[in-house]
Amino acid sequence: MEKIKLIEARGLKRHFKRGSEVVKALDGVDLDIFQGEMVSLLGPSGSGKTTLINLLSCLDAPTEGSLSISGQPVAGLSEDRLAEVRRGNLGFVFQKFYLLPTLNVAENVALPLLFTRQASSHERTLAALKQVGLEDRAGHLPSELSGGQMQRVAIARALIVKPKILIADEPTGNLDKANGEAIFELFTRLVNESGLTVVVTTHNLSLGYRANRVITLSDGKIEKEERPTVASAAAMAAANSH
Amino acid sequence: MRFLTLALKNLLRRKVRSALTVLGVALAVAVAVSLMGFRTGYKQALSESIDRLGFQVMVMAKGCPYEAATMMLKGGTGLLYVPDSIYAQVGKDKDIDSITPIFIGLAMKETSGLREDAGSSFTIMAGIEQESFATMKPWLKFKTGQGFYGGHWFAPESEDEVVMGYEAATYEQRKVGDKIFLPITPNGAKEAVPHTFKIVGILDRAGSQDDGTVFLPFKTAQKIFNRPNQLTIVGVKLKTFNRDNLREFTNRWISLPEVQVVDMGQVKDTITGLLDSAQTMIAAVAVIAVLVALIGVVNTILMSVYERTGEIGIMKAIGAYRGDIFTLIWFETLFVCALGGALGCGFALVGTKLVEAGIKSLINLGVSGSVVRITPDILACSFGGAILVGFFAGLYPAWRAASMRPVEAIREGIG
Repeated sequence: MEKIKLIEARGLKRHFKRGSEVVKALDGVDLDIFQGEMVSLLGPSGSGKTTLINLLSCLDAPTEGSLSISGQPVAGLSEDRLAEVRRGNLGFVFQKFYLLPTLNVAENVALPLLFTRQASSHERTLAALKQVGLEDRAGHLPSELSGGQMQRVAIARALIVKPKILIADEPTGNLDKANGEAIFELFTRLVNESGLTVVVTTHNLSLGYRANRVITLSDGKIEKEERPTVASAAAMAAANSH
Repeated sequence: MRFLTLALKNLLRRKVRSALTVLGVALAVAVAVSLMGFRTGYKQALSESIDRLGFQVMVMAKGCPYEAATMMLKGGTGLLYVPDSIYAQVGKDKDIDSITPIFIGLAMKETSGLREDAGSSFTIMAGIEQESFATMKPWLKFKTGQGFYGGHWFAPESEDEVVMGYEAATYEQRKVGDKIFLPITPNGAKEAVPHTFKIVGILDRAGSQDDGTVFLPFKTAQKIFNRPNQLTIVGVKLKTFNRDNLREFTNRWISLPEVQVVDMGQVKDTITGLLDSAQTMIAAVAVIAVLVALIGVVNTILMSVYERTGEIGIMKAIGAYRGDIFTLIWFETLFVCALGGALGCGFALVGTKLVEAGIKSLINLGVSGSVVRITPDILACSFGGAILVGFFAGLYPAWRAASMRPVEAIREGIG
């Protein structure tokens, strides 16, 4: 069966001006991401992984190059048109959970439906919470949850609009090891069971190597691209645990 | 969930700050409502007080007609007298429906022992011809009930009987049958002469200066004030009161020496006109209060926007349009102002009596009855004004929030 290409980036560049100096945060990246893949973006700080994920998320515009999401070119679109592209294709999880403290878990999860003008139903919210194993916490406030639970609520919030691609920028950055592993296990399950595409950045190599594909960035360019095997993932986890 | 619910819940996040901002708006609205209520109420009370004088025209000694009218409304010491023969002369006028002579004098207020300020003020004494005076003011009734039974007008020739207005009697704590001691300085004398009068009646509240007056027979007043054949005012009611009739009447009697004819309608218009000018200043105070509240609202909402930069970024990331963010922040501002407006109207309604008592304790407004009247129009106007403030106060914070680029907002939120 032919793989469906969801993201196509060609010659993607993002340059910033810092005084008279031009910083090449991303300097010519070619990348294809297909449906049902889990792709990790690895690299040290300043390697360009957050810049790349911001471009892939349509949250930022490239200085040069082309980008298509689900076959739709996004370069040069207005902010509201980019919002439409995001609505139809992307879900987001960030290092900080950004749950609204005065809304309960169910209301936080249902928030994207308000902006996408979709009917909000309790069943739909519960279904999203069930995907992350928190259906029994629907009425709780975020302050009553652990960090791992809050991140899972954030994932449910991303999933409720049934996105094709889940973008996760350092989703385990604020979590301990056990919770970090649980989040990556959840991503793996969603990819395997729902055919979701996940693009994730992380500093944690052992977690990153749980993906189908690992892209390592350095100085704004793709340094290497790997498809980890079970053995290489286990070796990376063992190396990381020492 | 709807935008309104979300906006309300956002405001509940910082309860104290939101409450203080609402309170700021509420106080500004309460000030505006009270001032507008005072403007409306005072004009109406003034108008009613002038109408309650009973006569449309005053014939009196030459001088400032507005000072004369003010003296009639709130009393005063600058009394002028004219020969009482003009009463008979003017009384022959063909256009007159009714006419009454009034002699006004001032007695030292009796110190009751309970009121320390009593000795420092005057009691207004009005010498009247009971029959014509009562005809001119048919609404004057004697108070009944315990301590007030048997109230009646004095005999025309009586020299020691008085009828007290409601407030004068209340102030002096007198009942029907009591005595009242009033030192009076006769014309030409240096020392006050003590007089003791018997109270034969106490009038019910009339809502005019009559409430604070002590009435005695016209001739007796002339005698004890040592001004025989003099009077202060001739009150006139015309058969047909219109501009032409009044002009003709004035022209007929203006030629009398030392006499002026004062049209109470004109006095009313002039005083309310002056009041309008003075109230422009009052309105400026209300505008400043509203501006301060507006700045407070802008500051609060702007702070809230900056604190939620990351959240606004994530809302945009998950699909919110610029318009959605604008609407959300704008609703928050409107909520604050609407709630403040409603509370302010409530404060003003509840506090009306306090405000009125405060104003009356500071200055003698020269009118009886309520001077603060808060009408539904005033409440609607003030509440609408609060919403309008919210409309404008929300524009800048909402625009700032809507203009945030999601990537920068999320980055700042993480930082």
